[in-house]
Amino acid sequence: MLVLVALSVLHIAAIILLLVATIDNAWWVTSTTSTDVWGRWMLTGNKWNLTDLPAGYPEDYLHAVQATAVLACIFSIIGLFVFITQLFTLANGNRFTISGVFQILACLFIMIAASIYTDRFHVNEHSIGNYGHSFILAWIAFALTFISSIVYFVLRKK
Amino acid sequence: MQSNGGWKGGGMGRAGPGMRGVVGYKPGDSGVSVVVLSLLAFCSPSSTLFFFWFFPSPPSSHAPSGVGTLPRQSPVRFAASVHFLGGSSNRSQKTMLRVLALASVVLLGIAPQASQAITVYTSWERHALVGSDVRLSCTFFSWRFISDDVSFTWRYRADGSRDTVSIAHYAGGEAYTDNKGVFKDRVEFVGNPKRRDGSILIKNLDFSDNGTFTCDAKNPPDIVGRPSSVRLLVFENLPIQAGVITGAIIGVVLGLLVLIVVIYYLMRFLVARRVFSLNVSKHGKKKKEGSQQRQGPAPPADPSKMKAAASEKKKQESRKDKK
Repeated sequence: MLVLVALSVLHIAAIILLLVATIDNAWWVTSTTSTDVWGRWMLTGNKWNLTDLPAGYPEDYLHAVQATAVLACIFSIIGLFVFITQLFTLANGNRFTISGVFQILACLFIMIAASIYTDRFHVNEHSIGNYGHSFILAWIAFALTFISSIVYFVLRKK
Repeated sequence: MQSNGGWKGGGMGRAGPGMRGVVGYKPGDSGVSVVVLSLLAFCSPSSTLFFFWFFPSPPSSHAPSGVGTLPRQSPVRFAASVHFLGGSSNRSQKTMLRVLALASVVLLGIAPQASQAITVYTSWERHALVGSDVRLSCTFFSWRFISDDVSFTWRYRADGSRDTVSIAHYAGGEAYTDNKGVFKDRVEFVGNPKRRDGSILIKNLDFSDNGTFTCDAKNPPDIVGRPSSVRLLVFENLPIQAGVITGAIIGVVLGLLVLIVVIYYLMRFLVARRVFSLNVSKHGKKKKEGSQQRQGPAPPADPSKMKAAASEKKKQESRKDKK
C-alpha cells in the first residue's frame, strides 16, 4: 500500500515538474529578460512585456524542443492513467510494463528537449545570463521519470 | 418554443440577450412559465411593455374581464404581478393569461428586433502571395427582405496612410469599380447581391496593396449598420504559422502511438483466434464438438471477444488436464 502511494506521488511529482518546466517561462534568465521556448519576457522600463522569440533562434531546433517538451508532458499524463488502469486490470505477479514504457518515453522526450536546448541555444551568452528554474526542473523531471520507469519495470504486482 | 439562431445574429451589439431564454416554455404550466417569462423579459430593454401587459391581469378569481385591482399590501412591482398570476385558478383566466404571455413574447420578440441594425460580415485577415488574386468576401444580415436598392461599398486604406478611397460600389443593380486610382482595372465585383454577397476580386497583388479594406452594405430601409474591415497582407512566400510544425510533430508521434496500440491489440486478437482454431484442428472429434457448442454463443462485443477466446483456451486446457 505504501509502495503504491509512493509510486503515485513520484509519478505525479514528475508530471508537475514537467508541466512547470514546459509552461513557466524561465529557461534562460538575464537581468532584463526571461525566456523559454515559447516567448520572451523583456523588462523595458519597469514593465515586463511579452515579445516574440528573436529571429536568430535556430528554427527547427526550436520546434523540436517545443514538440518534445509537450510530448513528454502528454506521455507522462497518459502514463499516470495507464498505471491506475493497470493497478486494477493487471494479473498478480506481472510487471507494470506499459506504464514503464510511457514513463521511459516521457523521460526520453524531456531528455531530448533539454539536451537540444543546452547544446544549441544561448551557447555564446553564458556571461550575460544563466539558466532559469524551468530548465533545472526539466532536468530534474528527467531524473524522476527515469527512476519512475525503472521502478515500473522492476516492480511486480502482488 | 425554440430560440432562433437568427435572433442571435441580430442581437449582436446589443446589451441584453433578448428573449433567448424562452426555450422550455410549456403552455400547460402557466404559473411557472409566467415566472420564467417575466424574469427573462426583464432582461430585454422593452420590459416596460411587459408591465402594461400584465398589470391589467386578474389577481383573483372574481374579475373575469381581465381588469382587476391590485391589493394594497403588495407593492407595484414585477415580482408582485407574477405572484398574482400564479394564484389564479379559473380556467378562462388561465387561457387568457397564456394568450397574453404568448402575445407579449411575440411582440417583444419581433418588435425590438425589427429595429435592429444591419450587420456586415467580412473576414478578419487575409494572406495572399504577390501576383496572385484574392477574393474578399462581404455578407450581411438584415431583418428586411433584400430590396432592389441594396448597395455595397468597398473602401481601401493603405497601411500607414490616413486616407480612405472608394474602390468598388454596387448600387441600383450596377457595379462600379475603380477606374482612376491604384486599383484601376484590378478590381472586379463578383458578388451576388440578391444572395447577400458583396465580394470583390482583386487581381495581380503587389506589396503596396497591404492595407485595410472596408465593406459597407446597406439594405434600404435598413441602413443603420457598422461597416466591417478585412486586413490584407501580401507575402512573397506564405509563411508557416507559428506552431504548425510543432503541432505536426506532436500529432505524428501521438498518431504513431495510437497506431502501435491498435496494431498490438489486433495482433493479440488475431493470435488468440489462430491459436483457438489450431487447437480445434489438432484434437479430433471430441474437441470439435466442444468447440461447436462454444461457437454458438460466440459473437459477443469486441473487447470481450479476446477474453472469451482466452477463457475458452483456459477451459480447453483444463479439459485436457482432466482427461
